[in-house]
Amino acid sequence: MTLRRSGAAAVRLPALAIATGLISGIAAPAPASDFTAGEERRILRHGPWPPALRPDPSNRASGKPAAIAFGRALFFDPRLSVSGAVSCASCHPPDRAWTDGLPRSRGQRTVDRNAPALFNLRFNRWFGWDGAQDSLWAQNLRPLLDGREMGIGPGGAARLVRSDRELSCGYRRAFGDAPGADDERVFVDLGKALAAFLETRVTGRTPFDDFRDALALGDAAGQARYPAAARRGLRLFVGRGNCAFCHFGPAFTNGEFADAGVPHFIEPGRVDPGRLGGIRKLRRSPYTLLGRFNDDAGRSTAASTRHVRLRQSNFGEFRVPGLRNAALTRPYMHAGSLATLADVVHHYSTIDEERLHAGGERILRRLDLSAREQADLVAFLETLTETAPRHESVGKSADALCR
Amino acid sequence: MLAAALALILAAGEAAACARPQGWTGGASIAGELWTAWWRPEPAAIPVGAHFSIRFRLCGPPVDRVRVRGWMPDHRHGMNYRPAVTLNGLSGTAEGLMLHMPGRWRLILDVRGAAGREQLTAETVLE
Repeated sequence: MTLRRSGAAAVRLPALAIATGLISGIAAPAPASDFTAGEERRILRHGPWPPALRPDPSNRASGKPAAIAFGRALFFDPRLSVSGAVSCASCHPPDRAWTDGLPRSRGQRTVDRNAPALFNLRFNRWFGWDGAQDSLWAQNLRPLLDGREMGIGPGGAARLVRSDRELSCGYRRAFGDAPGADDERVFVDLGKALAAFLETRVTGRTPFDDFRDALALGDAAGQARYPAAARRGLRLFVGRGNCAFCHFGPAFTNGEFADAGVPHFIEPGRVDPGRLGGIRKLRRSPYTLLGRFNDDAGRSTAASTRHVRLRQSNFGEFRVPGLRNAALTRPYMHAGSLATLADVVHHYSTIDEERLHAGGERILRRLDLSAREQADLVAFLETLTETAPRHESVGKSADALCR
Repeated sequence: MLAAALALILAAGEAAACARPQGWTGGASIAGELWTAWWRPEPAAIPVGAHFSIRFRLCGPPVDRVRVRGWMPDHRHGMNYRPAVTLNGLSGTAEGLMLHMPGRWRLILDVRGAAGREQLTAETVLE
């Protein structure tokens, strides 16, 4: 058998190449802008915001007000931990941008990774730093199963809901039936109610969104309100910084995984395998979109789970986080190893390519940004902070569910 | 030997004359030495970071297997997903592709048959 390799064919793709620029709602260039046409196209694909919201077909509770109320009550309920002292809100306090500010979070015990902020989750394809879960409802089960976090498990959680009058009532209103005898089914439904609640956490408009929309409309006055330092930082972000390859689209993430060149060691002799371990966990889990708990018989959102590849180069990769509200969610990276946004920018500017387990990939390169350029990038990232944050009142309990 | 050579020449001639499949309004062709492929993505505009499929139709000698993959030459990495190819004679569908970054990508159809093996490569730039 012979191998013939044709050269890259002169493929007739004009319609396709043009259309790819249209998919993100790109409008005509604004004449008042000082950005090039290419820069403008790259800027415009980071919006519009917020995107259209659709219920999750894998979760029959998605978008239902009764399920959202039940999920809210569960989120703040410490009885979902084995000690009775740790709730979801312990590591994800709403008044601290839904994260705890610790490098590595602490539930029952200290865990290996940073607690991510809980907003814009509904747009994710994978969940957790290693993407071991393929739905928000499955992700919500993980801390309930992990003894270092809450650890109550299916039996404990189901017994609590069946025995507590308010929780039982909340379950019935959310799902239409009283909690049944199948512990695992009730347990998964708690994850789905929590998902219904967390889906509502979508960040608000930002100064960047106002600038982006002004650019799309050719509104020179609107563009002029965007600070000069942020404009310079934005130009770096979509250009020489190469940031937008991974931090792509309106949520500023492509939803995939990357080796960012930060240490993988949790402690001497123990390493975090990242995405490599995540895919292995996914394939062992009963709580995936390919399993019996998916409420969507057609498995319409399961393509990623069905087709995901496991490669050795997944070692040390972690999920590319979205950047909206990033200024509020320090510290950064999967184990909180970088304290500030300035540290993150400095890290990428001076990245040690020898530390990357890139397997030949050539995405990250030492940027050698000047001090001003680094400050400009930080100024841009700060404009991704919502101008009118919605603070969730802490202390919502199950008491109000059924009155 | 002569018959095999003649078959190859005929097949190559057939590939060169490959017409757009009936009923297709879009798509693109890639001409190789053994096979020519017409292919089109679904949806028609390939999205960045979302799954899409491709339909393809080959002209040339019989095919045993087709694999489809993506490659980003500037970054030297492929896709994070393995497409599933369904082949029906010389026609097929690949499902589960995802190009997870903007930039220059190659879509590669790796075609195998008794006549040989060939990589048919198309290139596109996603923004």
